[in-house]
Amino acid sequence: MTREQAPARQLVETVIAPPVIAAVAAHAAARVPGVVRLEPGLRGLAGSLTRIARQRIKGLEPAPTEGVRAFVEHDPPDVRVEIDLSLSGLDQAAATAQAVQRAVGKAVTEATGLTPSAVSVSILDIEIRGGLL
Amino acid sequence: MAMNHATRDYLLPCGRDVEQVWERLDEVDAGRADAHELGCPHCRATRESLLVLRGLTRELAEDDAEPSPDLTSRIMSAIRAEVRRRDLVPLASPEPGEVQVSDQAVAAVLRFAADSVDGVRARRCRVLPAPDITDPLAVNVELNLAIAHDFGSDSLDVVRERVTAAAGARVGLRLARLDLVVEDVYDA
Repeated sequence: MTREQAPARQLVETVIAPPVIAAVAAHAAARVPGVVRLEPGLRGLAGSLTRIARQRIKGLEPAPTEGVRAFVEHDPPDVRVEIDLSLSGLDQAAATAQAVQRAVGKAVTEATGLTPSAVSVSILDIEIRGGLL
Repeated sequence: MAMNHATRDYLLPCGRDVEQVWERLDEVDAGRADAHELGCPHCRATRESLLVLRGLTRELAEDDAEPSPDLTSRIMSAIRAEVRRRDLVPLASPEPGEVQVSDQAVAAVLRFAADSVDGVRARRCRVLPAPDITDPLAVNVELNLAIAHDFGSDSLDVVRERVTAAAGARVGLRLARLDLVVEDVYDA
């Protein structure tokens, strides 16, 4: 949420809903090399399917948010993002997760003007097909 | 197809009932309508409604759609993720926010590293946070192995070396303790 003075000295408030931040974060995380996929839990999947159904009624194809939870506080303004994902075993998991943290923080800031106070990453699976060493 | 009893005796203003109109739908469709059916507006309106109803019920009856394989795999993936989210161990990160990895993911990497040694088959692998509170990023690992009967005793050092290297290089964890439990022998 951002507040700014409009030219006519009218207070303008822009509210950014958590699914928007989640979609931006999901897009950024999925593009980091070494990320195989985002992992929605059951609650995330249910929420995502509900959102998809609601959007389809309106004829829209929603941006994916599965595997990402965004938390927005209004007073004081704060954004936190949690991401669950699977990585390839080719890069060090900790390094890839840090790259995800940086990419998501940057993308959310650029897209919304809000800098997340925390981007937490949970690696739920490491794919080791093709070898490790 | 007979209508249920709730529709019987439902008389139209012309004197015919809905049951009758329903039973003669196909006859009228085939051009064998009687004189009354050709001219009666009540029968015609009822027939049109019943045709719509019949079309819809046939569609529903023939709809044997199952959940798409994509949805099924997403649900299974979500269940797996739910299970893996229970036991997470922390990884180091200078960025704001936590980084954690599921112990099952770590175990898979370590088992794979042990399997890369000739004559070794990794079995169960337990990953537990080390009790040393000064190093929250260290873990204790217990790895159960089956070895070939001609397995050299010094090869366990190779297993230890590879598992420790994989923990650091592929995950980013430090092993405070690595217990190797040789629990079985197999014929190579």
